[in-house]
Amino acid sequence: MVSYLVRRLFMAIVTMVAISVLSFAIIQLPPGDYITTYIAQLAADGTSLSDAEVLALREQYGLDQSFLVQYLRWIASVLHGDFGMSMEWRRPVSELIGERLWLTMAVAVAAILLTWALALPIGIYSAVRRYSVADYAFTIVGFIGLAVPNFLLALALMYFGYKFFGINIGGLFSPAYVDAPWSLARVWDLIKHLPLPAIVLGTAGTAEMIRVMRANLLDELHRPYVKTARARGLDERRVILKYPVRVALNPFVSILAYLFPYIVSGSIIVSLVLGLPTVGPLLLRALLAQDMFLAGAIVLLLGIMTVIGTFLSDMLLLWIDPRIRLEGRS
Amino acid sequence: MTRLLNMTRRGFLRTTTGAIPAAAMGQLLSVTSAFAQEERPGPSLIGKLEGPKVVRDESRFPTSFQEAPQLAEQVSSGALPAVAERIGEDPLVIEPLNEIGTFGGILRRGFTGPSDEWNGVRIGGHDTVLAMDYANNEVVPNVARDWEWSDDQRVLTLYLRRGMKWSDGEPLTADDFMFWYEDMYQNEDLTPSPHAHMAINGKPITMEKVDDFTIRYVCPDPYPLLLKLLAGAGVMGYGPAQYGRRAQGGFAPKHYLTQFHPAYVDQAELDKMVEEAGFDNWKGLFLNRIDWAINLDVPAVTAWIPETLANTPTWRLKRNPYSIYVDTEGNQLPYIDEVVMSLAENLEVLNLRAVAGEYDYQSRHIDMGKLPVLLENADQAGYDVKLDPGSYGGDFIIRPNLTFPEDKDPEIAKWLKSVEFRRALSLGIERDQLNETFWLGVGVPGSPIPEPENAYYPGDEYKTRWHEYDPAQANQILDELGLTERDSEGFRMRTDGKGRLRLELMTMTGMFLPFTQIAEVIVNQWRDIGIDVRVDEVERGLGFNRVSGNEQQLWAWSNDTTEALFLAIHALPVSTSPASQNPLFGLWYDSNGEKGIEPPERMQEAMAKYRKGAGVTDEERAKLGKEIWSYLVDDVVAIGVVGQSPALMGVRVSNKKLGNSPARQFNSTLVRTPGGSIPETFFWKS
Repeated sequence: MVSYLVRRLFMAIVTMVAISVLSFAIIQLPPGDYITTYIAQLAADGTSLSDAEVLALREQYGLDQSFLVQYLRWIASVLHGDFGMSMEWRRPVSELIGERLWLTMAVAVAAILLTWALALPIGIYSAVRRYSVADYAFTIVGFIGLAVPNFLLALALMYFGYKFFGINIGGLFSPAYVDAPWSLARVWDLIKHLPLPAIVLGTAGTAEMIRVMRANLLDELHRPYVKTARARGLDERRVILKYPVRVALNPFVSILAYLFPYIVSGSIIVSLVLGLPTVGPLLLRALLAQDMFLAGAIVLLLGIMTVIGTFLSDMLLLWIDPRIRLEGRS
Repeated sequence: MTRLLNMTRRGFLRTTTGAIPAAAMGQLLSVTSAFAQEERPGPSLIGKLEGPKVVRDESRFPTSFQEAPQLAEQVSSGALPAVAERIGEDPLVIEPLNEIGTFGGILRRGFTGPSDEWNGVRIGGHDTVLAMDYANNEVVPNVARDWEWSDDQRVLTLYLRRGMKWSDGEPLTADDFMFWYEDMYQNEDLTPSPHAHMAINGKPITMEKVDDFTIRYVCPDPYPLLLKLLAGAGVMGYGPAQYGRRAQGGFAPKHYLTQFHPAYVDQAELDKMVEEAGFDNWKGLFLNRIDWAINLDVPAVTAWIPETLANTPTWRLKRNPYSIYVDTEGNQLPYIDEVVMSLAENLEVLNLRAVAGEYDYQSRHIDMGKLPVLLENADQAGYDVKLDPGSYGGDFIIRPNLTFPEDKDPEIAKWLKSVEFRRALSLGIERDQLNETFWLGVGVPGSPIPEPENAYYPGDEYKTRWHEYDPAQANQILDELGLTERDSEGFRMRTDGKGRLRLELMTMTGMFLPFTQIAEVIVNQWRDIGIDVRVDEVERGLGFNRVSGNEQQLWAWSNDTTEALFLAIHALPVSTSPASQNPLFGLWYDSNGEKGIEPPERMQEAMAKYRKGAGVTDEERAKLGKEIWSYLVDDVVAIGVVGQSPALMGVRVSNKKLGNSPARQFNSTLVRTPGGSIPETFFWKS
C-alpha cells in the first residue's frame, strides 16, 4: 500500500511537470503574442504603435526571448510562489486568481450539491419504480436536461429572469455589493444570486447522474444478494440503501477527479454567458489576449487539481468498494 | 430576396464575438424582437449635431464660483482650500448644451476590463493640451488657455493657466511640459525612437520654456498641423491620462514622477524600488506609476479622477476638487459626482444590461444589431436611443494586398496589383443590399471617402466612381484583362493554366459588425462576375501577424479615423504598423525609399502630397486632401462598401433624465466621443 502511494505520488509530480511545460507551450503555439493583441486593441481606437515601440514592448515583457528562456524564467518564479504579473491586467496573477477563486468554488459547490441532492433520490426512485409514470416523467425531463446546451439555458433564464422578475443581468452580486467588503449582507446577496448559475450548471449533470444511478442500480437490484437480503426479511429501505445503492455509487466517486478542476474553473461557457466573475472567463480572456503568465498559471492550477482529484478518487474507490484490489495482489 | 434578407438579418443579429453563446443570444433576441415588422427604425433616430461650447470671450467669464456640496463641506472643515483658489485665475468656461445643471448623482456605464482603459478616458479623462470643439471643426482651449502662431508658422506659443493645479493641489506649470519633453520624450528608454509627430519634413521640433506659464514649440519648417496634433491627435497633445502609459501626452506631473526617474534619483535606490514593485526595469515601474487608470496616486488634471482602478470589477471616477472646468454661472464642473463603470465579462452581458437600462450613457460596445431590442425596451427601462453616425466612409472596406509577393503566387500578385482588376471587383458588389441587410439602411454605400461636410471630400462623383453595382461592366473588364476561360461552374480560370482563379478574403473576429457574414454575401455577389473568393475568418492577433508577414490577399477592415486624412494611417499606407494597408509601402515612406517596397508611381505622388500637407495652410491642405482621395478612389486602392453609419460606437443609450445629452454627437476618436459632448456638463434632472 505504501509503495503504491509513493509510486502514485511520484507519477503525480512527473505529470505536473509535464503539464507545466505543455501548458506553456500550448499557450505559445498560436502565432503572435500579447503585443499583437495590444496592437489590435489600439487599432480599434484609431491609434497605432511604431515598429520601435513594438520592439521596446516585446523587450519590456521579455517576449523577445526564446521559448526555453521564457519558460525557465516563469517556472523558476512559480517555484518561488510568484506567478508573475498579468500583462493585460497589470496586476499580480495570484491576486487576480485569488479574488475569483472563492466565488468560483461557491458556484461550483452549489451546482454539485444541487446535482447530488436531486440526482441521487430521483435515480434510486426511478430504478426501484421502473416504468412507473414518475419514472417516465423523470426520464423525459432528464433527457431534455441532457440535450439542451447549458449556455442556451443560461441565456433563456437570464432573459426571462430580467423580463419577468427584474433580476440583474449577469454577475453574482447586486451592483451595491460588487465591491463592498465581505459582510453578512454581502453573503446573503451572493446566496440570492447563486440559484440561477447552480440550476444552469446542475441541469445537465443531474440528468446524466439520474441515468447513471438508475442503470447501475437496475444492474444490482437483480443480484442474488438482494434476493437473499429480502428473503432474510430485511425491510425494503434497508435492502436497497445498504447494499445495491452503495455499489451503484461508484461513478459518483470516480467523477470526483473531474470535479476538482471544475471547482476551480467553473464551466467557462456558462460563466461567460451569465457574466459570472469566476476563473473561467479570466482564463478564456487570458488565452485570447495571449497573456502568458495568467493563462499559464490557471492551466497549471487546473492540471494540478486534476492530478489531485484523480489521486483522491482512486483512494476513495479503494475504500468504498471492497471489490477493487490493487494490481499484483490477490 | 426576401428570404435571403430575413435569413441574413437573423445572421446580422448575431454579434461579432463569434462565440457560440453570442450566436445563440442573437437567435434568442431575434425571436423576442419586433424585427418581424419591415419598418426601418434607423434614420429617424439620427438627430441634429449639437454640443456644449468652450467660451473664449472673457467678458462672459463668471466672477464667482460655486462647488459641489461635499467639496463645500471639506472647505469649511479646512481640508480643502476655497473653490476660487483651487480653480485658479484662468478657468475653462463651458456653456452647457441646454441648461445650467445641478450637482450630484452617479453616471453608470459598462466596461470590459483593463484593456478598456479608453472607456474611462473617453467619458472622463479629457486632459488633451488643446481640444477640438464638439463638431470637430475648430481647435479650442483645454489644459492650455490660449496659443499664438508666429507669422511664418514656425513658432507656436502656448499659454498655460495661472494658478491651475494638479489633483493633489500642486501647481501645473511649464516645467511639467518640459519634464515630458526632456525626461520622457528625449529619454531613450521611455521613447526608443523619435516620433513622426515631433518632426516636420524629417527635422525634429523642439520645446522651450519661456516662463512658468508659457512654452514654445519651435519648428524648423512651417508646421500648421501642429495645432491639431496638440488638440488631441498627436503624441504631444494626447494628455497623460490617455497615453502617459506609453510615455506620450505632452506634459506630466513632474513633482510626482521624478521619484521614479533615474535622472532625479540615485540608481541604487531606484533599482531597489523597481525590484520591490516586481518589475524588470525602471521603465516598467515608471510607465505603471504614470498610468491614470491603474495608479490612484498619480496626480491628474482631468475633471473626474479614478477612485478605484481599471483592473478591478468596478472602475469608479470621482470629481477632481481642482477641476478647471466651470459653467457660465461659475459652477465648478462636473455636475455629476461619480462615473461608475461595471465590468461586463462579455459583450452580450454588456448589451443586455444596456437593454435593461442599467447604463445611463453608453455607446461604446453597443452592438447595432441590438437596435430593435433596445428600442422595444427603451420606454420601460427609461432611456432614449440615439444614433451617432461616423463621418468616415468605410465601416467595411476591402483592402487588396498591393505588395503580395510575386514568388508566392505571381498570378495572384499580378491581379491584386492591377487597377482594372480591382475596379472590376468593386463594380461586382451590390452595396444597397448589404446596407439594408447589415446596416438597417442607415449606412452610406459607396467609395471609402468621408462625409460631404469633410474638408477633404473630393466631390460627389468620387462617392460612386467605380463603386456602383455594374456586373456587366465588371465582366467586360475581366474579359478584356484576358480572364476569359471559365470552368464548369462558371468561375474564371487562371491565365497560367493552373486551374480556377481563387482568392482569399481575410476577416477578423471581434469587430463591431458581423464582418464574416458581410464578406460571405459579397463573395456570393462576386460569383456573378465569375470570381471565386474564399472567406477566411481569423483571430485578430493572427490576422495582424499575417499582414506583418505580407501573407494576406484581400482583407476586410474599416477605415475609421480617415476623416482626419493627414493624421490617419488608414487611408494611405504611410505607416509600418500592421493596421496600415501595406506596411511595406509604409516602410518605404518612413525610410525615404531606402527600405520596404517601392509603391506605384501614382501612390508615390499621393504620399508626397500627404507629406507636404503638414506644412501648408488649411486651404492648401484641403486641396491636397481632395487630390489624395480622388487618387485612392480612382485606383481603387481599397474597395469601399458601406460607411458613415453608427456601427462603430454610434448606437447610444441615454437616460431620459440625463440633462444636456445631445441629440447627435460627433462620433470620432478625434473628439474622444463622448468627450466632445463634455460629459462634465451632464446632470440629473429632478
